[in-house]
Order: sequence, then structure tokens, then C-alpha cells
Amino acid sequence: MGLELDRVTKRFGGREVVSRVSLTGEDGEFVVLLGPSGCGKTTLLRMIAGLEAPDEGAIRLGGADITAKDARDRDLAMVFQSYALYPHMTVARNIGYPLRVRKHNAAEIARRVEDVAARLGLRKLLENFPRQLSGGERQRVALARAIVRRPRAFLMDEPLSNLDARLRVEMRAELKHLQHELAVVTVYVTHDQAEAMTLAHRIAVMRDGKIQQYDTPSNVYHRPANTFVAGFVGSPAMNLIEQGNRTLGVRPEDVELASFEQPGYTPARVWVTEEMGNETVVVLSAGDRQITARAPSGFRADFDSPAWFRFRAGREHWFDSSGQRIADPA
Amino acid sequence: MKTTVRYFASIVAALAALAPVYWLITISLKREVDQFAYPPRWIAFHATLQHYAEAFGGGSFAIYFLNSVALAGMSTLAALLIGVPAAYGLARFEWPRRWDQRVGDWILSTRMLPPIVTIVPLFLMLRGVGLINTLAGLAIVYTGFNLPFVVWMMRGFFDEVPREMEEAAMLDGDSRAGALLRIVLPLVKPGLAATAVFCLVFAWNEFLFALILTQTEAAMTLPVGIASRVTQYEIQWGAMSAAGVVAMLPVLVFASAAQKYLVRGLSLGAVKG
Repeated sequence: MGLELDRVTKRFGGREVVSRVSLTGEDGEFVVLLGPSGCGKTTLLRMIAGLEAPDEGAIRLGGADITAKDARDRDLAMVFQSYALYPHMTVARNIGYPLRVRKHNAAEIARRVEDVAARLGLRKLLENFPRQLSGGERQRVALARAIVRRPRAFLMDEPLSNLDARLRVEMRAELKHLQHELAVVTVYVTHDQAEAMTLAHRIAVMRDGKIQQYDTPSNVYHRPANTFVAGFVGSPAMNLIEQGNRTLGVRPEDVELASFEQPGYTPARVWVTEEMGNETVVVLSAGDRQITARAPSGFRADFDSPAWFRFRAGREHWFDSSGQRIADPA
Repeated sequence: MKTTVRYFASIVAALAALAPVYWLITISLKREVDQFAYPPRWIAFHATLQHYAEAFGGGSFAIYFLNSVALAGMSTLAALLIGVPAAYGLARFEWPRRWDQRVGDWILSTRMLPPIVTIVPLFLMLRGVGLINTLAGLAIVYTGFNLPFVVWMMRGFFDEVPREMEEAAMLDGDSRAGALLRIVLPLVKPGLAATAVFCLVFAWNEFLFALILTQTEAAMTLPVGIASRVTQYEIQWGAMSAAGVVAMLPVLVFASAAQKYLVRGLSLGAVKG
């Protein structure tokens, strides 16, 4: 009885940006909408929030139809990409705003703001204005404002994308823990597959307004439903090789390398190596295609030096001519 | 060298701008015999306050002054009360078939005709509803003239405020009106102040409509009142100057109080942040 989308469709000027999307998020579930920009994920989130009205379909929360309800009556909290903090209010007043407009009494507002601020490490900043805060602190204030009341769902629109890389990873973990503690259904929009993999209970991979696959991170990674999902999730991306009317997919970690000729291995040349510290990504050029492989960190090879590779047995993914996964490769 | 030239140029410009003001103030303080003495008495003259007593003692300029205050206040308030929500609506809601653009252009177009051509129709209409020679009638006319200005200025300021501000407020449980009052208006305060000052100054200085639409003493405004001292037999330079000086004061006070906002308001959007 969490969040339920039933064939939700949205058109902008005749163009369908979200097409018959159905998905459910159980109570306490962390759902991530993942896709490239323009895939309709943000529009979908805005429809859940009540900021856009769907042209067709229904949105239910806790069993009740909220499709026609105003944003303010849906009892959801949203964290925006830009944080949307109120610049003319102190941190304390920003966090307390949802309670003030709901006419809670001053003592209770003060207590709850204090609680949330303590939880997110904002106590020293309560009297500051948003412009005096760093990006990470603003992010925390936006989170605090979202959790200060107990909403029935959290919506997050790329909340970490304005942070630097280190802080993003830190906040990611914090966010995951926080969501676990609050146990409220959360819909999180991102184009970053690493964020999606680490945060989600289930990922909805979207393209062109349609859900390509809605499944656990593990299944999305290990059993991608089509070539789009296969190529979008995972870094470095899966090798997709057309063979006749089918496509073969092999993850870089399932490409085995050798520096001398061996039976069953295909010859190639090293196009580039990328030292990552814990591993080395090797891009080979074999004929007119490139094959990406992951090698241990000690792997060394010069540009254009010869190398041999093979695909680890039993780890191939097969897709048909329309790009759909073939359950039983022949 | 460059600095010297700049200073010199700004001093010349300042003198050119301030000389008439200085002349106005000194005339208001000079006895009649000194007013047109030749060579002019720039500094050394016998100062007197008799013209101020003449102008305001008899009561008529005091009435004009209060009339102007009431008129400027009413028309500015009305223009803001009607224009701000209209501007917000145009800035935030997309109307089908781009009607928001068209309505905006239509509102602007009402500023494109020379005001004088509306005098006769306005006179007839006001007479028809019995508002000729009343402050209320004039206030309606001024409101009408300020409205397009308010709508266009405020629409620009509203465009500068990210939509996410209100969206966040509405998700936090506020109504759209509440978000406008508590979130958006405080953010466009500089723009609002600048717009209000322009409306006030327009209403305060307006002469043409006031002259034609109000002909009784009871509804006369300062600019008209001052001009009425040019009579068939004499020109009361002293009293006119005294009233002119007093007429400048409210604008000066208001503009300097709002100066911080004026500069920010007028440059809002030009420079981010």
C-alpha cells in the first residue's frame, strides 16, 4: 500500500514524454528512476509531486487516489536539484516552514527543528542564511526541511548532482541510512547509474518516456532486459557486439586478457589503458570494434601493443534484433 | 589626468542638474525686489520665509499638498494591488495558444498612444459617472496609466524568481497565494519598491490630466495649484517656488529611503545574485 502509478501518461505539445508508466513502491522502499536527460524521469516525479497533471492514468498513495489532488494536499516532501531554499529565511525558518504553514505551535516547531538539525549536524548553522552555507550544508538543510514533518513519501530530483565528487559519495551513504531509518517510500531521480545502484531497492530504468526495466539493482545489472539497459547501467559500459541479427553483451569484468597467444583467445591491440588505482580499464581494438576489459591494478601495456582476449564462458548476454533480452541463447 | 577630467565632467553635470534646484530654492527665499535683480544675487540676499507663509498660510497649498499625497498614495496602492497579481499570473501560468504573451503585449500597447488623445473620452466618462473634479476620479485614471508599467516591471521581476521556490513552498503545504506572499514577494521586494517609487513619482508630478479633470480648489493637486499662480495680472514667483520646494521634498525623502532598493531593483536580472 505504498505508492502506485497506473499507466501514467504525459504529453507536451503532442509529444509523449511519459508513456503509460506503471510502477509500485512499497512502504519504506527506495525507488530510483534512472535514465539519460530527457527520458521523462523528472516529469514523472513532478507528476507524483502534483506539480504536473498527468494526461492519463492514476497515481495512488496508501491506496487513495491522489491524481487530482493539489501538491500541498498530497503530504509529500521533495528535495530539489537546486535545493530551493528560501533565501530570505534563516536555516531554522527554512526547516520550520512546512510546520509553520501547517499552523503547528511555536514551541513544537522549535523542538522539531532542533531535533532535525541535531540529526543532520546543522545545529550551529540555524541562524545563518542559505547564502552563507556551503553546497553540502545547503543540501542538508533541504533534507532537513523535507524530513521535519513525517511525509508519506519523499521525492528527490537529482539532489546530489550539485555537490563535488567526494561529498556526493558521503551524502549518498548518509541519505541511504536516513531513508532506512525513516522507512518512508522514496522516489529518487538520477542519471547517475552508480547512485542508482547504491541507493535503490529497485531501479526503474527509463528511456523516451517508457520504463525499460523495473527491478533490483542486482537484476538490472546481471540480467538487463534490453541493450539500452545493458549499455546504460555499469561503468565501464557493457561491450555490445552485433552478431548477425543478434547482439552479444559482455561486461568488461567478464573479458579475460592475456599478453601472449593462447588457445581460444582473440588477438587485438591495446588502444588505451586507464589506471584507476584498484584496477585498470583496458580498451582494446579488435578489427573495427573496441572491447573494454577490466584488469587488475598491476596490468601494464603500451599503446598499440598486442594483447589477446576471450569472453568468460557462461557470462554472455544475448539480445534479439529489437534489442530485447533472449532468455535462452541458442 | 583621466581622473581630473572625470571629476571635472561630473562637476559640470552636477552643476547643470542642480542649478535650477538652487535657483528655485533661492527664489522661494528672496524678497520680490531681489528675485530679478541684475546682476543676479546668487548668495547675498535678504532671506525671508514670507512666500512659504503666503503659500501655505492661506490654506490652499496645504490642501493641494494633501490632495497630492492622497492621490499618489491611492493610485500607487491600487496599481500595485491589481498589477502585481496580474504580473504574477502572466509570469507563471502558460495560457493556451500563447495568450499570456498576447495579453501582455496588449497591456503594454495601452502605453503606446499619446495620453492626450484619451483626455476627451476620459473627461466624458468621468462626467458620466459623476467623478469629474474628484480625487477618486483622478486616482482611477492614474491607476490606469500606471497599471501597464506595474505589470511589465513586476512580470520581469517574477520571471527572475525560480519556479522551484514556489513549488517547494507548495509541497511544504502552502497554497499558491501563500507562496506568493511568504516566498515570492519578499524575494522581489527591491523590484516592488522600485516600481512603487515610479508610480508615486508619476502620480505626484502629473499635470495634464489633473489640470483638465479637476478644476475645483477642493480637488486640485500641487502641480496644478502651482501653475494656477500664473494669473492674468501677475506671476507669483515666490509662492510658486515655495510650493515647488515643498513639492520636491516627499519625492526626495521617498527616493532616498528606497535608494538601496531602487538600484538593486533596476539592475535586477542584469547581474545575477
